[in-house]
Amino acid sequence: MSQFDPKFYDFFTHPDSPGQMAAEAKRYGYSGIVVTNSKINKGIVLPDDFSIYKGIEIQAKPSRIREEIKKLKNSNLISIVRGGEEELNRAAVESAGLDILLQPLEFNNVLAKAASDNSIAIGFNLGSLIKLKGDARIRELKYMRTNIKHTRKYKLEMILTGDLGSVYDLRSPREMAALSSLFGMTQSEAIDAMSAAPMGILRRKSLNYIQEGVELI
Amino acid sequence: MKTLPTLREKKRYIAFEINSENMILRQDLVREISNSIISLFGDIGASQIRPALMSFEGRSGILRCAREKTIETRSGLACINNIRGIRVSIRVLGISGTIKGATEKFIQQSLIKESEPERR
Repeated sequence: MSQFDPKFYDFFTHPDSPGQMAAEAKRYGYSGIVVTNSKINKGIVLPDDFSIYKGIEIQAKPSRIREEIKKLKNSNLISIVRGGEEELNRAAVESAGLDILLQPLEFNNVLAKAASDNSIAIGFNLGSLIKLKGDARIRELKYMRTNIKHTRKYKLEMILTGDLGSVYDLRSPREMAALSSLFGMTQSEAIDAMSAAPMGILRRKSLNYIQEGVELI
Repeated sequence: MKTLPTLREKKRYIAFEINSENMILRQDLVREISNSIISLFGDIGASQIRPALMSFEGRSGILRCAREKTIETRSGLACINNIRGIRVSIRVLGISGTIKGATEKFIQQSLIKESEPERR
């Protein structure tokens, strides 16, 4: 029981109405979400002890992605790149300032090393397991297995996310942990991927943070 | 004939709640749960999990599974995202060793919690 006590975050949501999503996420046991698409209005009523953070999904050609990440380097937006072919992944992990590379398809030790140098977290998209069936899901699981092997070897941070488009894609943290066991993630890794790793990113993005080990008090 | 207690299949009861756009029929839910578990774990896995829907009344229900397979059953439930075109999300309220425990502890409590705001 106590293992599921910490605060949980989902770092990749793009709901139509953030307010409704926030209420539902609170009910499911989350303490915060990152909204990547829509503008967050001041008027949204948030439940108690719940926070919405702004993020951005960077979509660009591999050749442009470095510039896009550089532009965002000093903002407090949480930046996410949806992984793909090797060229795209490479451009993403080699540019410092990116926070999360979500579900890279062709991941290898060179990319993992670069990601560890730039402290980029690797995201696991559990939404694809929920939405896909058959061959497509098998492929996703296969990629996740290779990704987890490399993240363990290079001690990268892992992030679990549901890729939430609506409240019906939401799953509670325990369900997310159960889903992540499908590709060999242990329960404690899954809990870290939903609480410790997101909190680390939020700390790095806070205004008081200067660099690793240096912080305004 | 009665089975010896030590040879009895050990089971767990999972209380769950469905968040859906529309009402879900019991038979559709049963089919979808077994489809989901079979597509995730195959026939052998499904025979080890032994899922069975004990009760369901439109919103919350109780599912029985093998004692050692609760995590697998959870992931099977989590993989359900639509039932006959109706989008759903299933949330596990809790797991208990008896139907009575699951009902008293999780389902009735969730009903009390929901009716609270109206009372105020």
